[in-house]
Amino acid sequence: MSSAISPRSRRPEGGLDRRSLVAGAAVGLVVAGLPGRAASETAPDLAQLIARVTEGVAPERGRITLSIPALAENGNSVDTKIAVDSPMTEADHVRWIHLIAEKNPFPDMARFHLGPRAGRAEVATTLRIAQSQKVAVVAALSDGRFVMTDADIVVTLSACIDGG
Amino acid sequence: MSFNARITMPAQAKAGEIVEIRVLTRHVMDRGGQSDGKGGTVPRKILNRLTATYAGEPIFRFDMHTGVSANPFVSFTTRAVATGDIVFEWREDGGATYTRTARLTVT
Repeated sequence: MSSAISPRSRRPEGGLDRRSLVAGAAVGLVVAGLPGRAASETAPDLAQLIARVTEGVAPERGRITLSIPALAENGNSVDTKIAVDSPMTEADHVRWIHLIAEKNPFPDMARFHLGPRAGRAEVATTLRIAQSQKVAVVAALSDGRFVMTDADIVVTLSACIDGG
Repeated sequence: MSFNARITMPAQAKAGEIVEIRVLTRHVMDRGGQSDGKGGTVPRKILNRLTATYAGEPIFRFDMHTGVSANPFVSFTTRAVATGDIVFEWREDGGATYTRTARLTVT
């Protein structure tokens, strides 16, 4: 007896079988993946984002300590601490510190404006990181120079997906 | 009211001492762009700036964009120079401002 349990559960005879459906879905996935890849290639890269902040001046590496977890479980709130090695005097101080996340929908995250009255160039905040990426810090010094550093971060639960 | 702020700093300091100020703010920091269910999108509503003045002189400014988390925390330092009020002022998208004051006594 090869009768089906109900007439509707019978396998369609001439139509699509499961094998061709799976193959078709695979092709669809590949096609759907293409525009996404093309979009990420046209996004501005980190060097461009930094150049825009420093108005074209290439910053030197170093003098900044960026404390950010290498693996963040929740990208909605990532504890970040920045310390710049500076005497913070009237003649030599940090004017501002700028935070960039290249793959955030809005890469410029925050800017701290400091002055000689700060005493120490040390700030901390909580950031929203959209996905695993490189986070860069640029600091402007009072003599017109810029310094920078960056750090890689892996985000398990990315921001900008849920309502938080 | 969806805004609240907790400012943690010493009440007293010696002249010349560097004081750390920690500010934890309660705010949703809504980055906007979600559907409002009526075909439009929700506008951005975040605190976009925090300024701190010490005895009338600006000492710190924090420009925030959508990359700052909800309920933002910020810490910074200042050198104690004279007894005075440290005034914190937040600016929200849409023009609302919030102000909190903390007094630092310098001995």
